[in-house]
Amino acid sequence: MADPYQVLGVARDAKPDDIRSAFRGLAKKNHPDLHPGDKAAEARFKDIAAAYAIVGDEAKRALFDQGKIDATGADIHQPPPRDSYRQHAEAGPGFKYDRPWEGGTMGGGPGGIDEDLFAELFGRRANANRRGGDVNYTLAVPFVDAINGAKKRVVMTDGKALDLTIPPGLKDGQTLRLRGQGHPGVKEGQAGDILVEIRVEPHPVFRRDGNDIASTLPITLGEALAGAKVPVETISGTVNLSIPKASNTGAKLRLRGKGAPHKGGTGDHVVELKVVLPTLPDDAFVQSIVDWEQKHPYDPRIGQGAKS
Amino acid sequence: MISQSELVDTIEALDAQALQRWVDLGWVLPRNDTGSLHFDPADVARVRLICELHYELRIDEDSMSTVLSLMDQLYTTRRALGALSSAIAAEPTDVQCRIRASLEQKL
Repeated sequence: MADPYQVLGVARDAKPDDIRSAFRGLAKKNHPDLHPGDKAAEARFKDIAAAYAIVGDEAKRALFDQGKIDATGADIHQPPPRDSYRQHAEAGPGFKYDRPWEGGTMGGGPGGIDEDLFAELFGRRANANRRGGDVNYTLAVPFVDAINGAKKRVVMTDGKALDLTIPPGLKDGQTLRLRGQGHPGVKEGQAGDILVEIRVEPHPVFRRDGNDIASTLPITLGEALAGAKVPVETISGTVNLSIPKASNTGAKLRLRGKGAPHKGGTGDHVVELKVVLPTLPDDAFVQSIVDWEQKHPYDPRIGQGAKS
Repeated sequence: MISQSELVDTIEALDAQALQRWVDLGWVLPRNDTGSLHFDPADVARVRLICELHYELRIDEDSMSTVLSLMDQLYTTRRALGALSSAIAAEPTDVQCRIRASLEQKL
């Protein structure tokens, strides 16, 4: 049995008022009738009550401090066994303090079954107001429409046409909710919603990367080496992109504000360069490069060797 | 069943006035036979609990209504779940397994 002062978390010279309030705080947190089924709380509560039976009583506390009784409370009577309220509250069926959920008063009737909790199981509340069901659709949207926004007319299974506004910047997998356009409710219940999940179709050139749009731009060897201005397709039209001198494959150039609109602004368009060699270069060209390389050797595979 | 005065004698901390007030507030529901109250063992345990919460843990009257209401809801829910789980226990093992799998997924 632990030291009763430690159980209550008070000093050995704590004032009776402090001991009392420490006990109250701990007892509230662990009271078994307020924590039904929590065995640990119940055990703690027993320890707390036993400790308080000693140090909460001035005479017993004095005896304990003088070493005349030990922490088990030997030589003093234990607190009487509790006739727990829980034993009654969790006994057989039908308890007078059962709490019906719907508008009843305390003790308003036997068997306070939670109608909501068991509605699915028993199919109760068939006559109650009930919200109508949601209707789910999937809509394929072209890439560019998802970025720029669009209006779409969708014909639903019941033949009704539905005009949808696709807001700009929509991402693949996002859902549009049309409140109150789903199945009608029962009685006074609200109608359900129409949920349209958006599938953004892939684009041959553009890819989505968060709020940015990515594309790959093929350039010639000359453009890559000497630099150039090259027309680039973006979501909002053609832009002349300046390619710096000596741009390699994989270099990324950012076109600010040419990406997808979002809450905080607009993303960028990121262009990744890809140097494309001329098809069938003539022998003289190839030889001149080989000659040049012999005079200016370079190793593009540094750090990529199998040994490293 | 015991009478009001017997109950007051049984519980040291309790006085008749407090008990009457708790009955008036609907915290305790004794049987009322033309003005004389009869407390069954559950009522007695409940009065004992209210005494403990009120006099020892200093839960005041306003908070007590909330505490008791939540406690009653909790016990009612536990009883309903207990009934449900004994109903499930009476089902074949494969049904029990499916229910357990579904619960583990949802909880």
